[in-house]
Amino acid sequence: MSAPGHAIDPPRRGPRDALSALLARVYALRWDVLPPLTGVAMMAMIVGALIVAPRELIEGELQRIMYIHVPSANAFYLAFFIVFVASLLLLWTRDMRWDAVARGAATVGVLFTGLTLATGAIWGKPIWGVWWTWDARLTSTLILFLIYSGYLLARSTSDVNDEQTARFSAVYAILGFLDIPIIIMSVRWWRTLHPQPIVFRGLERPAMPMEMFVVLLTGMAAILLLTLWFIVLRTEAERLAQRTESLRAAIDRREAP
Amino acid sequence: MVGDVNAALAVVLKDLRLTWRDRAGWLSAASFAAISVLIYSFAFDLATSDVRPLLPGVLWVTFLFAGVIASGQSFQRESEQGTFDALLLAPVSPSVLYFGKVVSNLIALLVMEVALLLLATILFDTMLITAELVLIVVIGTIGYVSLTTLLSTMGSRLRSRTMLLPVLALPLLVPMLIAAVRATGASLGEPSGSAPWTLLLVVFALWSAAGAALLFPSVVER
Amino acid sequence: MESNLDFLFAGFAVFWAGLFVYILLLQGRLRALGREIEQLEERLDETEGRPAGR
Repeated sequence: MSAPGHAIDPPRRGPRDALSALLARVYALRWDVLPPLTGVAMMAMIVGALIVAPRELIEGELQRIMYIHVPSANAFYLAFFIVFVASLLLLWTRDMRWDAVARGAATVGVLFTGLTLATGAIWGKPIWGVWWTWDARLTSTLILFLIYSGYLLARSTSDVNDEQTARFSAVYAILGFLDIPIIIMSVRWWRTLHPQPIVFRGLERPAMPMEMFVVLLTGMAAILLLTLWFIVLRTEAERLAQRTESLRAAIDRREAP
Repeated sequence: MVGDVNAALAVVLKDLRLTWRDRAGWLSAASFAAISVLIYSFAFDLATSDVRPLLPGVLWVTFLFAGVIASGQSFQRESEQGTFDALLLAPVSPSVLYFGKVVSNLIALLVMEVALLLLATILFDTMLITAELVLIVVIGTIGYVSLTTLLSTMGSRLRSRTMLLPVLALPLLVPMLIAAVRATGASLGEPSGSAPWTLLLVVFALWSAAGAALLFPSVVER
Repeated sequence: MESNLDFLFAGFAVFWAGLFVYILLLQGRLRALGREIEQLEERLDETEGRPAGR
């Protein structure tokens, strides 16, 4: 019996509860918020890249590819970071929903890695004269492409609810992500052994006029939103696949005599 | 602490005994490596006068391929015979188990690699058994054996594992390969740029050993 | 200096094609999931019907 004058305290809602409640509210808005924001931003990016941005002196119109090439690279950085965090969380919490997030983010990462390589090569052909010159950045990107494709390949060898394969894949994804700085460093050192192609120093300009910079930022924001949207969509699909699979298993058990 | 060291030693010895029993498998891996060197000689016409620029690459590609495949196969045989699962029941921490596995694999691989260096010394008339070169080989091997042991432990439970293990392991090992080839070339007098390749090799070895040791418990827990 | 418009067009086209293909693949996955769920619902109906001694 509580002492007179004391009401029973409601359960303490600390900052962690408030934070996860807030995150849940934000996440619940994803279907309403992401599509229009992404649409507007993407349109702004296209208009900016093709019309607003000034023509570059050395490369001409071709330089406009940079407005989608650089944001594509940012997209896969984000995606693979999400794979890394989701993999850590999967190992820590053993909650298979993080496996769905990791797989969703990995597919989006592989998509944008491929797009970065493709736009890089298309930019490179007229500038360098060949489709591929083992440029340090593109080579590192290629290696990442292989690592995360390998991740998806390994994960797909067993079904969506297999916890063991999910854990192994998470370990591989963590190793891969931690390897990234070492890969970038070693490939860059490797490339400085040989003379670089003459005309350029890389796909970025050291200083650029304000208009170009603004367009680039717009592109980065647009692609980032697109990436988040794709990851959310794909993760939901993976999650549905997991639930369908458990449903199937339950029905199999029920049907068995 | 002392108990841990004793346990680790016991695991290493047990693993070495297993490896010795399994020597037929390792022998075939070594034969594969030797044949690879011959194949490269024919394919790249290494019978020419100056083979030095190509030699580090030939050696390290052979080491890596043979090493990755050998680790995978050896672990597969172990899991088929259930010896690894038996080890897991022992009252030692997974990290100690992992350490034992890595050390015994390392020893087997080093034996294979030194034999290959001898073969290459004879075939290509280039002195390869120098302190510097052997040290580079040791450090490089430590770098890759940590990862391949971890991945082969995981890979044995995945389907289509034989082809998958090299596909998964090799991209992670690219920095080690780049550094090892350049460092080996430098020790043979080839121009290798000014980057500290041996240092990178050491860093990679430390990184891969630490990373794999930290993640191994997650791989074996049920 | 030529303006390399062809390559610019190709670059943007490849980019959009890539995004489009991804969305198509995602759509395919969702539709396959939908079919699977329908199948499972049928099977569920059947198992519920059986104990009633059909």
